[in-house]
Amino acid sequence: MTELDLSFATDLLLQLVGVLPVTLGMSFLAMALALVLAIFFAIVQIFRIPGLNGFTQLYISFFRGTPLLVQLFLFYYGLPQMFPSMTAISAFQATILGLGLHFAAYMAELIRGAILGVDRSQMEAALSVGMDRLTAMRRIILPQAARIAVPGLMNSFIDLLKSTSLAFTLGVAEIMAKTQLEAASSFRFLESYLVLALVYWVVIMIMTWGQKYTERRLEEAY
Amino acid sequence: MIRRLQATGLAVVMSVFLAACGGSEQSTSTNETAGTPEVSSIKVGMSGGYYPFTFVEKDQLQGFDVDVWNELSNRLDRPVEFVTAPFSSLFGMLDSERIDTISNQITITEERKKKYNFSDVYVFDGAQITVNANINDINSLEDLKGRTVAVNLGSNFEELLRDFDTNNEITIKTYSAGGIEQEVALGRVDAFIMDRLSAAELIKKSGLPLKQTGEPFEVIENAMPYLRTESSEELRLQVNQALKAMREDGTLAEISQKWFGTDVTSKG
Repeated sequence: MTELDLSFATDLLLQLVGVLPVTLGMSFLAMALALVLAIFFAIVQIFRIPGLNGFTQLYISFFRGTPLLVQLFLFYYGLPQMFPSMTAISAFQATILGLGLHFAAYMAELIRGAILGVDRSQMEAALSVGMDRLTAMRRIILPQAARIAVPGLMNSFIDLLKSTSLAFTLGVAEIMAKTQLEAASSFRFLESYLVLALVYWVVIMIMTWGQKYTERRLEEAY
Repeated sequence: MIRRLQATGLAVVMSVFLAACGGSEQSTSTNETAGTPEVSSIKVGMSGGYYPFTFVEKDQLQGFDVDVWNELSNRLDRPVEFVTAPFSSLFGMLDSERIDTISNQITITEERKKKYNFSDVYVFDGAQITVNANINDINSLEDLKGRTVAVNLGSNFEELLRDFDTNNEITIKTYSAGGIEQEVALGRVDAFIMDRLSAAELIKKSGLPLKQTGEPFEVIENAMPYLRTESSEELRLQVNQALKAMREDGTLAEISQKWFGTDVTSKG
């Protein structure tokens, strides 16, 4: 067996840290998109808004019912054959869109669950003091639901961040892509993927600290 | 509080779209040509994982195809932009016009000729069986029957093998992210089929216990595919002209010498 090549590992690590902004950029932008969509879809379902509710059901069914990789290929390679103008979307943007739309479906259900987890009496109390339902939702229900949703949302975010590794199939030069290419030319598979695993792990550990802090803040009122 | 939430929400949405609109170009390497911003670059797709034609070492995209295109870029006076993606994704990129051509030793086949126009042939090669160094009973395609053979997904070697294996006696495994040499070295599959040139270089470079066996069983001609659109056709003809000039003044042979120690760009 050959020994671990530490200088190769260090070189690769530095390279990966250099392209980490691509991975993180895709993750945060996709998460922001997913969060906005998810809250919207959750509220549409809670209030059973006519028309939109049916669309939301279909949306969630499709995006949860098909693999993310299939959706990415569909957006990036499939649809442009029918709509040539879609080629204007770069691989970076397509990944953000794909991840955002995909995870919005999961997170919509998660947020809906969190909203349903807030005791009914809270809404009744808010209505009794003269708030309308939407205001009550914004000011009373959502802040409480946020506390319930954070652990689940963090799960989704971790999953989303790791799913950016699929972006290489669209040609995005992110950390997975760099690692695969270096591994292919050096035949140092063990070092390459160990370093890559370490980078993902450390990033997610830092995110988890952020979660703990957020949870403490949300817990203050209780 | 609510106002603040709304404002943050809006800011988040805006930033998503702004960032998406101004999204950075995801190219691995760009040939510097300062001062000519109005000339659009030629986007060339390659896997970046096909030693020694296109590979990445220390974050540097290099290889035979990279050198050929840097030279073509000089002669056509247009910058070249290399886009790296897994081999199986390259044709999808070409079809959706995200790249102008593929430079990854694409073999001309009947199937591909139906859909694309090819540049002139720039590399002549052969299909080659490679096995683990301690295997001695595989010497021809015939010997592969009853064995497991690895090929790269979407490569013409898969097609070649299936055409030969009319009774489905060979178990063909396809790989999309490379690693077939490792599979054979580890003994997970019995052999892999690749072109003779890169298999030879691969064995030399990797130091893995592999060997080529039997004669190359098919002459393969490699070229660059283009879509059948007006602008692609124009580019194809320009590239052909530049390739011809590079062949005539010996530049093409020189690049070949650098990577293979021999001229792989002509038939003989």
